Order: sequence, then C-alpha cells, then structure tokens
Amino acid sequence: MYHITVNLLRRQRKNFSLQELVIFLLPAFAIYALFVLAPVFLSFRNSFYYWDSPLSEARFCALQNFRLLWHDPVFWSALKHNLLLLVGSLLFQLPVALGIALLLNYPTWGRGFLRTVFFTPMIIPSSAIAVLWQYIYEPHNGPLSALIRYFNPDFAYAWLSTPGSSMFWIFISICWQYIGFHTVLFMAGLSTIPDELYEAARLDGASEWQICRRIVLPCIKPTLYVSATLSIIGSLKYFDLVYLMGAGLPDSSREVLATYVYRLAFDENQGRYGYGSSVAVLLFILALIIVIPLQTRKNQP
Amino acid sequence: MSTKKFSKGFLIRHLILAVFFLLTTYPLLWMTLTAFRSEGDALQRPLGLPARWVLSNLQEVLRSGRFAQAYINSLLVCVVAVFLAISCATLAAYAFARFNFRGKNFLYVLFLMGLMIPVHVTLIPLNQLLGADMLGLKGSLSALIGPYAGFALPVSILILRRAFEALPGELLDAATLDGCSNLQVLWHVGLPLAKPALNTVLIFNFLTMWNEYAFALTLLGASRQTVPLAISEFKGEYDLRITVVCAALLLVMIPLIVVYAFAQKQIIRGLTAGALD
Repeated sequence: MYHITVNLLRRQRKNFSLQELVIFLLPAFAIYALFVLAPVFLSFRNSFYYWDSPLSEARFCALQNFRLLWHDPVFWSALKHNLLLLVGSLLFQLPVALGIALLLNYPTWGRGFLRTVFFTPMIIPSSAIAVLWQYIYEPHNGPLSALIRYFNPDFAYAWLSTPGSSMFWIFISICWQYIGFHTVLFMAGLSTIPDELYEAARLDGASEWQICRRIVLPCIKPTLYVSATLSIIGSLKYFDLVYLMGAGLPDSSREVLATYVYRLAFDENQGRYGYGSSVAVLLFILALIIVIPLQTRKNQP
Repeated sequence: MSTKKFSKGFLIRHLILAVFFLLTTYPLLWMTLTAFRSEGDALQRPLGLPARWVLSNLQEVLRSGRFAQAYINSLLVCVVAVFLAISCATLAAYAFARFNFRGKNFLYVLFLMGLMIPVHVTLIPLNQLLGADMLGLKGSLSALIGPYAGFALPVSILILRRAFEALPGELLDAATLDGCSNLQVLWHVGLPLAKPALNTVLIFNFLTMWNEYAFALTLLGASRQTVPLAISEFKGEYDLRITVVCAALLLVMIPLIVVYAFAQKQIIRGLTAGALD
C-alpha cells in the first residue's frame, strides 16, 4: 500500500511549495540541530582539547586525551561494566522475559492483570527505583538482609559497598526494572502466531518443547531482534541506577561510561570537560559500531 | 477437559508466575508498609506489617514542601517540552510522509540517528551551550526544554511519519485539490485521522520526560528540582530515616501508579510503540 501511494505521489506534480517545505521542516530541524547534533559535534571538538576546569582556557592537545584514556584503569573498568551489563541483559534478562511471556501464552488466571503488574516498574522514575533498591540492599535493616537473617542469624553482607560484586546487585535491580517491559514485547510477538499453527503441531504429535523450538521461536524472531537491539542500546545508556546506587564505591568498581563522563565533568573538584568529552566520544562511537550493523540487518528482509 | 485444567503443568506454571509476581511487587509493598511504620519499628522489624500504623512520615514529607514544588516544576517542563516536541515532530513527519524533495532520506536518517545517541554524550556540550557564556539558561527550568524536546523528536517523527503514510493518500490529495494548503490539510484532515498515533507519542514523551534524571541533575540547580531529582536529593538529606524516605517514594510513585491503573492499555502501548510498530 505504502509503495503504491508513494508512486502515485511521485508521478504527480509537486504537491508543496518551497515555503511550505521550510515551515514544515525548519522548526524540528532547528531544535534537533541545536540540542542534539551540535552537542555531538562539540563533544568531538572538546575531546581534542586539554580543558581541566570550566574556568580555564581550553588548549588544543590533539590526541593527548585519548592517549591518557588508553592508560586509565577507571575507563577500562567502566567499559568492562558496560559490556558485562550488555551480556547480562542478553543472556539473563531476555531469556527470563521470554520464559514469562511463554508461560503467559497459555490460558492463565489473571493474564491481563499480571501483564499490567509486570510492566509497572517501567513507569516509575529510575531515580526512585535506585533509592528504593538502596534500602532493599541496606545491610543492617534492609528487607533482603532481614529475610536472610531469618534463616541465618549471623548473616552480614554489604551488598552495594562490596567492590567487585556491587555491579551485579545493581544489575539485578536493572532487571527488576526492565524484565516486565521485554515480557510485554514478547507477549505482543507471541500474539501474532495464529492458533491453528499450535493446533496443527499438536495434532501431529509435537511436544511442547518442539512446538516452542520449531514454531514459536522462528515466528517471534523479529521481536527477539527488536528486544535484543533495545537492550543493547539500553545497556550503553545506563546511568541513573548505576550512578545513584554505586555512589559509595571506589572509582574503579562503580563506573559505566555514562557515569564516568558525568563524574569527570561535574562531580566536585573535577570539571574535566576535555577528558570527559573524550570518554563521551568513545561512548558515541561504541553505540554506532554496535547499533548500525543491527539496524541495517533489521531493514533487510 | 476439566481434569486437564488442573494438571501438573498448570500448577507449576501458576506457581512460577506467582513467584515472579511477588518478586515484582514485594519491593513496592515493603516500601508502602515502611512508609507507615514508626522509626523504631522499621529498625527492629523491617519485615511484616507495621506494629502501629503512623502518618507522621507522610506528614513530615508534606511539611518539607519539597515535592509540591517539584511536581509543579516537572509539570511545567513536561507540558511545554511535550507540546514543543509534538508540534515540531508533526510538521516534520507530515513533510517526510507527503513531500518528495532532494535530501529527504538523508535528513530522515539524520533524525533517526538520534535514537541511538546516548544522551550522556551531550551532557558536557549542553552544559556549555546553556551556560552563562552562551544561552544563560542553566539552573532554570527552561534549560531542560530544549534538550527534552530535541531528544523526543526522533521517535516522535518515526511514529508520526508511519501514521501519516498509513492514511489513505487519496483523502489528503483530495483536500489539496480542493485548494487547501498543506497546513490546512494537516490541521483538518491529517491530525484528526492520526489521533491514535498522537496519543501514543504524547504518552511516550510525557513519561520519558517526567522520569528523566541525567539532564535534570546536570542542568538544574539545588533550588529548582524536578520530581526524579527531588527524590534522590531527598534521600541524600534524610538518608538514615528510612521511613521518611519511603513516604517520599510513595508520594512520587502513587500519582504515576494511579494514572497507570486507569490508562494501562494506552500507557503500555505508548511505551512500547517505538519497538512494536
């Protein structure tokens, strides 16, 4: 339908004036250029400057910032955390969400209600989720520790202030926030499979497991693709939870790239705009390198 | 059939779902109960029902007046930014759907690139751009409007363009042939027909902006806070008083959950729209 319409329009005389073109496109483009494109370019420019305080003059230093980055252990740990969160989302978050969606795909009590409840964390500000989970993980009176102490009175563990494992507990709260979202995506994907397909397979004597592997998974491949792309992009954008929940940790065990940019530039005694921008530039390039191949493959049938 | 209904698989399935239901809701339930506990109670018995239900925590949060102001601030910013983003996106999406001009694909891809740019790449430059030397908006609520609108454009244009392209082209062409300008066609024909997509974009953008944290943290001062910023700052100040912070969390979440309860279908559709179309 779309192609027919487009072809009709193409054959037609031009259906707009230059003046109209400007009126329609200029407002959006001006805002987008000023607040999205220009900042990206400025980030690139900044990254070539030595600029250690907002008060001082920026001085051109070519690739010096990137050379520093190469030897900066905090940068590497931030990158490692991003990649771990990415792998964790793909290998844990998505399979769990898919599993829940498959369970809900059978006739289930309160299906719509459960879907609504599972999605709830998505509508809550993530800064509030971070505050809530900081208390959940509170080592003395938090509910998690209290629950475990119910069975093991000697239990003592500082969930969020143990370097090395705190990122895992942050990952758990990220999962709490996003699994419901992916569950809803998968449920939408599953609802496109016609019932006759299941019935036919059951008549042929296929087991539930075979149905799942041979029919369900191939049918929801597009949804799997979208879900994976979203969690990959998302895992490069993590900021709120990691920034707030990791506040009490040493530098090398609390950062992801986004929080490192923020801390370099805006935390007390920092103001390292040039160096921070070079981290931002790498974050941008990383996002492009990972996402562009995914998007172009998606657009091919 | 009735024997099969309560088969082993049926029970296991519901058991797993029940566990997942508990995992999702328990943190919120614990928070709600804690908001009504006395402070001693919360320290001694963090689990279970409150020994005595108290309102003093909520009263203390209300007395601080922080959240009333934050709600007003958030509303102001979101309403203005959403209105700006949707009006610009509608115009642009209509042009992308209906006009053929040179560089159209390039421009469209340029807009779509915004979908994958992490906002944190722009924190430092926006700080320069909005700072005292240039636009001078930093620290005021209006500093947020540009970045919020800018980052809302890609997904809005994407959804609205698809909606306009799905409309029967003959209808719009007919209006043009009757002598309507494109603006008139958009206003009288396009917008009424694209209402579902407009709703989706409205909900998506409003919630995204309402919950946004990084820009608010960087561009606002201590005296002007949006709701997500206010709650994290409140925790910073009242850190050791779990019951009071939980009451504040409750005040932050309740309005959202109430709205969600009434408009769950629209909200779920809105938040998954970019992914599912």
